[in-house]
Amino acid sequence: MIEPVENSYSFSDREAHLWYVVPDEVKSSFLLSNYLDILSPCEKENVSRMRGEQLQKAALLARVLVRTTIARYQINGQVNPRSLKFKKNIHGKPELEWDDDQCQCASRLQFNISHTSSLILCGVTVDSPIGVDLEEKQRKLKNNILAFARRYFTPHEVKFLSSISDPVVQHQHFVKLWTLKESYVKALGRGFSGLPFRMFTIQFRTTENGDSCPSGETNNEGEIIVKSLEDVNSFSSNWQFALLELAGSHYAAICMEKDEAVEGEVPTPMKLTVRKTIPYVRDELISGPDAAVISGLT
Amino acid sequence: MASVSAASVAFRALSKPPLKSNETSRLKIVSLGWRKNGFPSLRSSRLHVSCAAKPETVDKVCEIVRKQLALPAEADLTPESKFSAIGADSLDTVEIVMALEEEFGISVEEESSQNITTVQEAADLIEKLVQKKPEA
Repeated sequence: MIEPVENSYSFSDREAHLWYVVPDEVKSSFLLSNYLDILSPCEKENVSRMRGEQLQKAALLARVLVRTTIARYQINGQVNPRSLKFKKNIHGKPELEWDDDQCQCASRLQFNISHTSSLILCGVTVDSPIGVDLEEKQRKLKNNILAFARRYFTPHEVKFLSSISDPVVQHQHFVKLWTLKESYVKALGRGFSGLPFRMFTIQFRTTENGDSCPSGETNNEGEIIVKSLEDVNSFSSNWQFALLELAGSHYAAICMEKDEAVEGEVPTPMKLTVRKTIPYVRDELISGPDAAVISGLT
Repeated sequence: MASVSAASVAFRALSKPPLKSNETSRLKIVSLGWRKNGFPSLRSSRLHVSCAAKPETVDKVCEIVRKQLALPAEADLTPESKFSAIGADSLDTVEIVMALEEEFGISVEEESSQNITTVQEAADLIEKLVQKKPEA
């Protein structure tokens, strides 16, 4: 367990911490200019390249959220968020870069970020690669859902979506599938272009019959599993998923690498702790309808 | 290098043998400057050696991007505009690619999607794929 010096953000086994910011709640220009100071020159440049105030604000808050969140998990005294360094893996996934003299514990922190125009989310774990993806529940496709799914998803997923007659529910399940698939390729560090979505299937497996079925409004739709299409009989069982409804407005998909399960033992389920934050102003532990679990945390 | 005039570069591209790749990129830098100064007709394949998009292709891509992102009419969209900078997320980019596939009758590998970060890159890829298509 990593226990920081001040606030006690300790991780228990298989736990991911989720932090989110609502840009609309960050209004103070004084605060925003202080936030800008935390960024690296390169990040400031990227923010300035965004077209329009709203996009710039979201880009700024995204970097601030990453830096301040990671800095909370202090290992050796205070970590200045400004001092954190980042690099990208071969597929472009951002990772932390530590100097040799920094404590090895720090390098165990894993993170991933996702944002929409109205919400910014950062997930942190110890040791486990993590991918998070956010989408507004109301996000509309310009294309027809099934046409899109036929082009980019697997036949199994197309069949699943086609079997849902209510267009509202079908749309919800499309968005859920999209976020789950994104969270998986982000957790793997490969991204959409590194692992095309038609190469793996996401299934909802209910506890009763083991077949995937389109659930409507039930609270827990059971387990979410991923199957590689390259080896049809294999489950990519190293990865666990959770799906949440966040702040009433978004679906958030979380994907984490599992521990190696000992033969015969049930693998430890994922635990999530959700906090809403305005960095340096206010943190709030969130439960209940603002972080409602849809699937995956049985 | 930056002071080369429009006419002399165009002449060079027509009369000299294929330029080396670093010279091509120098031309690109110069041509970007011209676009800003308002010489839209020079935004053509005369300034690039490898296949580059026709203005009609670039315009069509712009139209599709504008529609996908619901950009207001006054929003500035140039061939160099980065999709991420104008608010496109991964789902938008994938939808844009799908619309381009339908519009131009091509098939874009998912692996290429990371190379489509601007209107120009999308248009260039389209031209390449269209040229590769077998005769109907």
